Amino acid sequence: LPFSHLSLGKKQPTVLVICGPDQNGSIGLVCARHLRMFEYEPTIYHPKRSPHSLHQDFTVQCEKMDIPFLSYLPTEVQLINDAYNLVIDAMLGPEADCANIKEPYSGILVTLKQVKIPIASVDVPSGWDVEEPSQEGINPEVLISLTAPKKCAMSFSGKHFLAGRFLPYDIQKKYELNLPDYPGTDCLIEL
Amino acid sequence: MDKMNHSSAEAEAETIEPLRYLSKGEAAAIETELLRDYRFGQQQLIEIWGQACALAITKAYPLSSLGKKQPTVLVICGPDQNGSIGLVCARHLRMFEYEPTIYHPKRSPHSLHQDFTVQCEKMDIPFLSYLPTEVQLINDAYNLVIDAMLGPEADCANIKEPYSGILVTLKQVKIPIASVDVPSGWDVEEPSQEGINPEVLISLTAPKKCAMSFSGKHFLAGRFLPYDIQKKYELNLPDYPGTDCLIEL
Repeated sequence: LPFSHLSLGKKQPTVLVICGPDQNGSIGLVCARHLRMFEYEPTIYHPKRSPHSLHQDFTVQCEKMDIPFLSYLPTEVQLINDAYNLVIDAMLGPEADCANIKEPYSGILVTLKQVKIPIASVDVPSGWDVEEPSQEGINPEVLISLTAPKKCAMSFSGKHFLAGRFLPYDIQKKYELNLPDYPGTDCLIEL
Repeated sequence: MDKMNHSSAEAEAETIEPLRYLSKGEAAAIETELLRDYRFGQQQLIEIWGQACALAITKAYPLSSLGKKQPTVLVICGPDQNGSIGLVCARHLRMFEYEPTIYHPKRSPHSLHQDFTVQCEKMDIPFLSYLPTEVQLINDAYNLVIDAMLGPEADCANIKEPYSGILVTLKQVKIPIASVDVPSGWDVEEPSQEGINPEVLISLTAPKKCAMSFSGKHFLAGRFLPYDIQKKYELNLPDYPGTDCLIEL
């Protein structure tokens, strides 16, 4: 949303979507597919594909939308800065063990810390502990929390969205989520 | 009203082709391709369609426009996919603070359908155990009826109970009816002479042939169809505004 077509600086509305192996990555795949419907030009980097059939289905859906999949991520950061308007970080989600990040994700995180274009993270910035902001981690400009924000987002200083308007009222009450009122029929709200 | 996608005023290099209205076979073929070749899941598609339907309802009948004290909506769900879409629609309407009530006489044993039913039950959406035949009770209790009974795959020449009875009731209600994809009882390719007369039609993915002469409010809902399928079937879908997943035709 903050990156509407008009705001993108490059000639083409290119977006790099980095997808991890688990649910966070699947969410990234679906996000990329919808961005394509919204006439953005996503490119996906999806180094390790989960064997899970649902994950594979999401991958096929993207391939059939003619969304390019990179076979490797350039380590030359300037190539990324030049080719894309922004990076969507859909690598590691709340279930990841941030003290134990393996390749290729540790390498990708090193690259991401150096990119000059904005990063938007899905649910939890990759490499952050779910409950603590990271001292040395990536620094996204945008965080899109899913369903409810995680503890690590409490001191997040960038643009913070809460996305996904489906959570049954009983669960909201049970966990005392106190979700804000979404405007109109929007499924997201800026916090 | 210009239903076709003509752009007479704009100096565009390419001519805009008219929107395609699908036959029963084409609608079925597209869905088969989506599931088999594009690997969309049934649950995924139904969720996309149901959510888009709910958004169409909020456009056609905004909360502030409803006349009754409570924003009540009656959602009549059939046994098959059209009914599942109705269940998802009801659930999203609940999130949008409408008060849906579901009438779902014959529940499919299909586990996906049951999942959608549980999702609605856990949202505290009431399920009626029977539909009043006294039409005035329906007129008084609800602002509108959402017809999610029979979809394009139904055999409209052979409608069994309880749906034939429900259709009789629906033909008499005075409150507006909004139909999901195909007005129940209509043939997919021909408007019905004696069928229900919805005020609103929410076509899913692409409109069906029976909608060509539909004179009410017509929405196209569901913005996910891969460009390759759009091209293959020459759908000529209109441009959705912004990031909306529906458009009024």
